[in-house]
Amino acid sequence: MHHDPISYVQALILGLVQGVAEPFPISSLGHGVILPRLLGWNIHQNDKFFLTFLVATHLATAIVLFFFFLRDWMRILAGLGRSLRDREIGRNDVDARLGWLLVVGTIPAGLIGVLLEDSLRKLFASAASAAAFLIVNGVLLLLFERWRKRAPRPGDALGDHDRHIAETVSWRQAIGVGAAQAAALVPGISRSGITMGGGLLVGLSNEDAARYGFLLATPIIGAAAVLKLPDLMGSAGNGVRGPALVGALAAGLTTYFAVKFLLKYFETNRLTPFGIYCIAAGTICTLIFAL
Amino acid sequence: MTKNPKLIPVAIVLGIVLIVVAIVYFVDSASALPSFFPGHQAGSSHHHTKHGIAALIVGLLCFVFAWFQTGPSRPADA
Repeated sequence: MHHDPISYVQALILGLVQGVAEPFPISSLGHGVILPRLLGWNIHQNDKFFLTFLVATHLATAIVLFFFFLRDWMRILAGLGRSLRDREIGRNDVDARLGWLLVVGTIPAGLIGVLLEDSLRKLFASAASAAAFLIVNGVLLLLFERWRKRAPRPGDALGDHDRHIAETVSWRQAIGVGAAQAAALVPGISRSGITMGGGLLVGLSNEDAARYGFLLATPIIGAAAVLKLPDLMGSAGNGVRGPALVGALAAGLTTYFAVKFLLKYFETNRLTPFGIYCIAAGTICTLIFAL
Repeated sequence: MTKNPKLIPVAIVLGIVLIVVAIVYFVDSASALPSFFPGHQAGSSHHHTKHGIAALIVGLLCFVFAWFQTGPSRPADA
């Protein structure tokens, strides 16, 4: 009897979790490694079919993120075009400046990803190491809140968020936050957690940091997925394409609601509960794996 | 962004070098790459397309940087 490497139920569960865990600062890759081990599934991070499956769920996440912020992306792309035409970023051109901040933030993460992704994935492939790094991620989230440049203010949710970001983040800070995203190549460390935390360190509010993190995540997740799309379409995708489609639809659905929730949540709340969750979940999983 | 015309030739040369590097990555297999290139691996027939794309994008960004440096300069912010 023929068995698919990933069943439709497993694909549905992994997709739902991926869709939530990608925008939430709790590491989707970490959860994707830990969950199969906890549930006793014969799925491992470096399995070719699993990597192919992840391409589909990440692509769905990137597409949903792109369409969620479609109007913003249209403005940002127009701003980039305007600045190229004028050979300068206009003094009050928020969209152009934000666009170039996203470009200079994406490049270092992309370069580090291209150079180190394979070796890091092999080095930190186990569920036990993902659980340990989940604890590290939780500690980082708590430290970001402790070391944030400024305390939350009552009017943070008001005003032009893009202007806040464009006027607060410097070029060097954009490169630094972008490069730090590469830490998320290690399962257990969250890309959105790093970018949101980086945003807090440079002086953004929680909501602006979340918005900046989502905008910064879209091109890098999308590009990584598109580059690996041939794997899904080729022979490596045999037996995975059906479950991958189910996983992608589930991931897309939960990503939409997760982003909607988080943008509302961060109007008045902080990273702290996610930090506590990561420390607790990482500790419990580490104990379970050690027993 | 501070304008410095002296950086224009540097950015253009770097951009050209990176585009050449990108072409090498697209054309040559991992074993045929120069040994100092990231991704060189003796006996491998794998093409490091992603490395090539990365080099191409950074090369193009060098040209964009040079392009911005040719733009009108404005007085420093007060």
